[in-house]
Amino acid sequence: MADPVSPEDFARLLADAGLDPSHDPERFEELRQGTRFLARLKQTVRRPRDRAAEPAHIFVHPRG
Amino acid sequence: MAQAIRDPSQLSLAEASRAIAAGALSPVALTEAYLKRIAALDGELHSYLLTLPDTALAAAREAETELKSGRSRGPLHGIPIGLKDIYKTKGIRTTAGSRVYETHMPSEDAASWVRLRDAGAILLGKQETHEFAIGGPDFTLPFPPARNPWNTAHYPAGSSSGSAAAVSAHLCAAAMGSDTGGSIRGPAAYCGIVGLKPTYGRISRCGVFPLSYTLDHCGTLTRTVEDCALMMQALAGYDPNDPASADVPVPDYRAALTPRLDRLRIGVIRHFHERDAVAGFGPANAPSATYVAAFDAACHALETLGATLVDLNLSPLVDFADTNRVIMVSEAYALHEHDFRTRPHIFGRHMFARIGLGAFLSAADYVEAIRQRREICVEVAAALAGVDLLVSANATGPAPRIDAVGTYSTFDRASYTAPYNLTGLPALSVPIGFENGLPLAFQIAGRPFDEAGVLRAGHAFEQATEFHRQRPAISASLPSRR
Repeated sequence: MADPVSPEDFARLLADAGLDPSHDPERFEELRQGTRFLARLKQTVRRPRDRAAEPAHIFVHPRG
Repeated sequence: MAQAIRDPSQLSLAEASRAIAAGALSPVALTEAYLKRIAALDGELHSYLLTLPDTALAAAREAETELKSGRSRGPLHGIPIGLKDIYKTKGIRTTAGSRVYETHMPSEDAASWVRLRDAGAILLGKQETHEFAIGGPDFTLPFPPARNPWNTAHYPAGSSSGSAAAVSAHLCAAAMGSDTGGSIRGPAAYCGIVGLKPTYGRISRCGVFPLSYTLDHCGTLTRTVEDCALMMQALAGYDPNDPASADVPVPDYRAALTPRLDRLRIGVIRHFHERDAVAGFGPANAPSATYVAAFDAACHALETLGATLVDLNLSPLVDFADTNRVIMVSEAYALHEHDFRTRPHIFGRHMFARIGLGAFLSAADYVEAIRQRREICVEVAAALAGVDLLVSANATGPAPRIDAVGTYSTFDRASYTAPYNLTGLPALSVPIGFENGLPLAFQIAGRPFDEAGVLRAGHAFEQATEFHRQRPAISASLPSRR
């Protein structure tokens, strides 16, 4: 299992996302602990694939 | 039957329906029986957030009048049910299990509830849900988490916790849940009942609070597969108000139920629990020996019923589970981003921590996940070309204690249910045994819109086994004995 991101990196992630940890520092620290799962999640979905590989679509033309 | 009707809450939905049709049971008596049980037992179970005794009894009297005058609406006429509290009910508080909607009074009814009501079902109340169908069991919220009727110190799973607990404890005849990564089938497994996540698009999601638009499914929690078939008959069908609704003919689900499974080919995905759970999620995810034996015995029972079983090999479970998680968390975070930025403290602890991870996934992560989703769907469709149905594990051990469920348990654990959210295929959880007095289950899945095939296999298995006849001790705690 990977480690969570560092407090410094986490602060940058929060700033990029527009989140303010001063709302509830304890909860945001728990969220930082959850970042240990991010590497696995990203690694699982980021695989070499053909550029033509389409996403799963659910687009449906609305009926007028 | 005479003894059972002395406590009609002990009947299955189908049995109660037949008794009502025969004039041997009144909807009012059935509704009163459930309301008495709720009053006696739900202080311990917390399966309902809101009960509606007056409106339920009024609806029951109306049903009785209609039935006496020969105007039957079908098998659900006079049957009391519950709704997970993410189903909107006009003029009736609908909280989504969140402080965000703690006093919310919808101005509309969920389309699926309208279908059930039109079929004659009676609403007993709104049932406990994890916050926005993901954040639970959370003791920081104003709504106490539901408990497992088999042992109230244990977790009923979620997010359709209250609905599963209420069905299992005979506090309603059936209930509606929702399932984005397993929120119907997980609770069905831990509570020893039947849970169906139908095909994506089969039941309208209109008027149900969303968690993840492309993974959300509405479905049923019942005590038997036949009960599920009766509910599905009323629920399935096209709804132009749900953009994902599918205009596909609806078969006669109960007519599809047969005692034998001759000529059926079933693909068994063993590697999910035998190899992938530990490889992908660590040694704590090893299935219990009792579970493995129960799963093998269940497969053998399907063979005894005439089915031919073949082992299938698909991508590792972690590919299914984590692709589902990236999509779910990304979509859910987008849905709640404004509240995360402006009032994050309004969420409960688990909702905040689980969905908050979506803030750190990029647009490219999301697109890669839905590209991978398509690859997986193609792979599973190819596998289904050679078999009629799939069988795979559900939770591979008994329910943990409720106080042992951590904030990130949903990321630590192997999810056996996510593959069918990701692929949108119909999947049914059916009880297959017990461990330490707590239920175990497996899943039967099928081709798109083949709920009838899935129900047929589940019903034949159920009729050949006794697991669905066992009831939690709390179910036997009739109010008259307390």
